[in-house]
Amino acid sequence: MSLYQLQKLIYDVNRNPERRDAYRADKAGFLSRYELTPGEQAAIADLDVRQLYSYGVHPLLLRPFTLLHRVSNEDYAKALAGLE
Amino acid sequence: MPIVFACAASHAPGMTAWTEAAPQEQRDKILGSYHKLGDMLAASKPDVLVVISVEHWANFFLNQMPTFCIGRAQYYDGPVEEWLKISKTRVPGDPALGAQLLDVCLNSGFDPAFSDELLFDHATMLPLHFLNPGMTVPVVPVIINTLTTPMPSPKRCFELGRVLGKALERQPRRIALIATGGLSHWPGEAKMGKINVAFDKQFLETLVNGKRALLAEYSHSAIDKEAGSGGHEIRTWIAVAGALEDWRASLLAYEPVHPWATGCGLVAFNP
Repeated sequence: MSLYQLQKLIYDVNRNPERRDAYRADKAGFLSRYELTPGEQAAIADLDVRQLYSYGVHPLLLRPFTLLHRVSNEDYAKALAGLE
Repeated sequence: MPIVFACAASHAPGMTAWTEAAPQEQRDKILGSYHKLGDMLAASKPDVLVVISVEHWANFFLNQMPTFCIGRAQYYDGPVEEWLKISKTRVPGDPALGAQLLDVCLNSGFDPAFSDELLFDHATMLPLHFLNPGMTVPVVPVIINTLTTPMPSPKRCFELGRVLGKALERQPRRIALIATGGLSHWPGEAKMGKINVAFDKQFLETLVNGKRALLAEYSHSAIDKEAGSGGHEIRTWIAVAGALEDWRASLLAYEPVHPWATGCGLVAFNP
């Protein structure tokens, strides 16, 4: 579990246009820059919103990150249905 | 009377970004009250605005997260959000007043961080959009960490407000004090969209008609449970309540606006 690194990746993509471009150009290469577990890597690679939320990613990092991927409010809510 | 006006208001981004999603009656009440606050503020002819605000990962991250941060910059650019429907603007700062407030804090039991370069996100830009049209009045931001734990206790925020209020009362210039955030909301959470009207009304009742020092007694866990992660932003209101313990407060509007996913309140303070 490396929640700090996972959130750092998301923060960088959200807030830094150069990092965002790098992420979009080569997702696998970008993921390797961060110290992530295989599970965390997969959750980013697959944009597994429910898993990322369950790992403890801050909701105000996660929601903007999913907005960059054009996840609607409805789909976001559906992904989190039943969670605390 | 160097503090000439004060107010507290919510900053739900939907107010500008998806205004039309809200029922007309609610948006008329909220935005109308924002414009009313803007008129009241303009009539008080402030030289400087001190904005007690928060931020949402615009500047700070978990590598360094100040509990309190006072801006000392020449100017502030914002909003960081492309989608807010507020034009990108440069807001003038007041480095000298920022530096003075830092000194006052450091000599009064508070040790805030300071910053000579801050970006404004919707938390600060949205209220300024209504309250400082044209961005002509310089701003000193006081940022409270309400984003991630550990956060300062409501009691500390109340006391910080008291320290700032005393210092601002001694200013030769005319100061307007603005708090922004809350009320209950759960942004980005599984409960996103929930609004706790009972909590919001109780908070406003205490602020407007009750013993204002009681606001300092809110606990972190009660706010977290009852008002959500976004509800922690009421610490900015609690700070202004500490600054102006004897001022009268009047409620301009409260509406639980579901399309904006926030309990939205606006309050004016008068001496």
